[in-house]
Amino acid sequence: MDKKSLFIKVIKENEGLIFKVANLYTNSLHDQEDLYQEIVFQLWKSFDSFNDRSKLSTWMYRVAMNTAIYTLKTAERKIKTISIDAETEHVANVSDNPEEHKVKALYERIKILNLLEKGIIMLYLEGKSHQEIGEIVGISTSNVGTKISRIKEKLKNYGTKK
Amino acid sequence: MELEEMKNVWQETSKATKKPDHLTNQFLEKMTAKKYNSKINKIGYSEYIGSVICFLAAIYLIINLNKIERPLMQIFAFVGMLLLFILPIISMLSLRNLKNINVSSKTYLEAIEDFGKRKINFLKFQKLNISLALFLLVIAVPVLSAIKGKDIDQTPNFWTLTFPITIAFFLIFALWVLRSYRRILNETAKMLSEINN
Repeated sequence: MDKKSLFIKVIKENEGLIFKVANLYTNSLHDQEDLYQEIVFQLWKSFDSFNDRSKLSTWMYRVAMNTAIYTLKTAERKIKTISIDAETEHVANVSDNPEEHKVKALYERIKILNLLEKGIIMLYLEGKSHQEIGEIVGISTSNVGTKISRIKEKLKNYGTKK
Repeated sequence: MELEEMKNVWQETSKATKKPDHLTNQFLEKMTAKKYNSKINKIGYSEYIGSVICFLAAIYLIINLNKIERPLMQIFAFVGMLLLFILPIISMLSLRNLKNINVSSKTYLEAIEDFGKRKINFLKFQKLNISLALFLLVIAVPVLSAIKGKDIDQTPNFWTLTFPITIAFFLIFALWVLRSYRRILNETAKMLSEINN
């Protein structure tokens, strides 16, 4: 299989992962589409540097999340807050479905976290082990545990304040 | 909502997050055929246009330098030319530094720290640019008048009304921009300190 065919196969098998990262770090469908394309492009660019020593999903998460950081709304010159109001408003407007309200509540909670916590929580929600989260994020496994406990506390406090 | 409940909701939404196949196919074809331009390393049109305007203004000054007679105005013109060449270069270099990156070589934490630092440096450069631009505005007025052969001392209300109003407008604008930069700088610095705790 040539490089191009292999890459297309890898992307198709993991496009859900890319889509979720693009969804989490943007606040409009247009930005989401742009980020999706930028992530795929960066994956293609670094496809040669990927080696089997690094697990495929670890490499993909790393490139996808880093791309999201570097494409943060530079026009607004903001770094800390990535509003997902548009997304949550969209969910609220389209339906009264209780499941969609749960999604809205989920995004509202993720919104209060800082960039590092946001990355960690996304990987945690994806079902990644502490070790994998540590590898992608670049912190020790024990630190992942500490950060997740803090996030839990933060989310709990958010729930009580609300 | 507890973390475990969040996990369940996330897993449910994951099932629905799939891009239509034809869109993925189209994009992959376009990208592998090198018809896609990355936005990360791209310097915007506005920066290029701004630089071209500055260079054109500098060329205008060079062409008309012989029309300026008073030594003080000649010095102002030289300083103006220098600024018109230096300002866009500073801006382009700082922007290139902000964007010249390799996303795959860093961990997520390193990427956040790196981007935060690049952003802070960029904003500091922009603050310097604004201060220099204000100075450029101040010296441009008498220089342009000298080129046009006008004695601005003879222009009615120039020093008492026109000039102070122009400076006031620019100052208000510059202060507004600088305040906005300061706020973002503080937010960025705060974010960097938060992630290291």
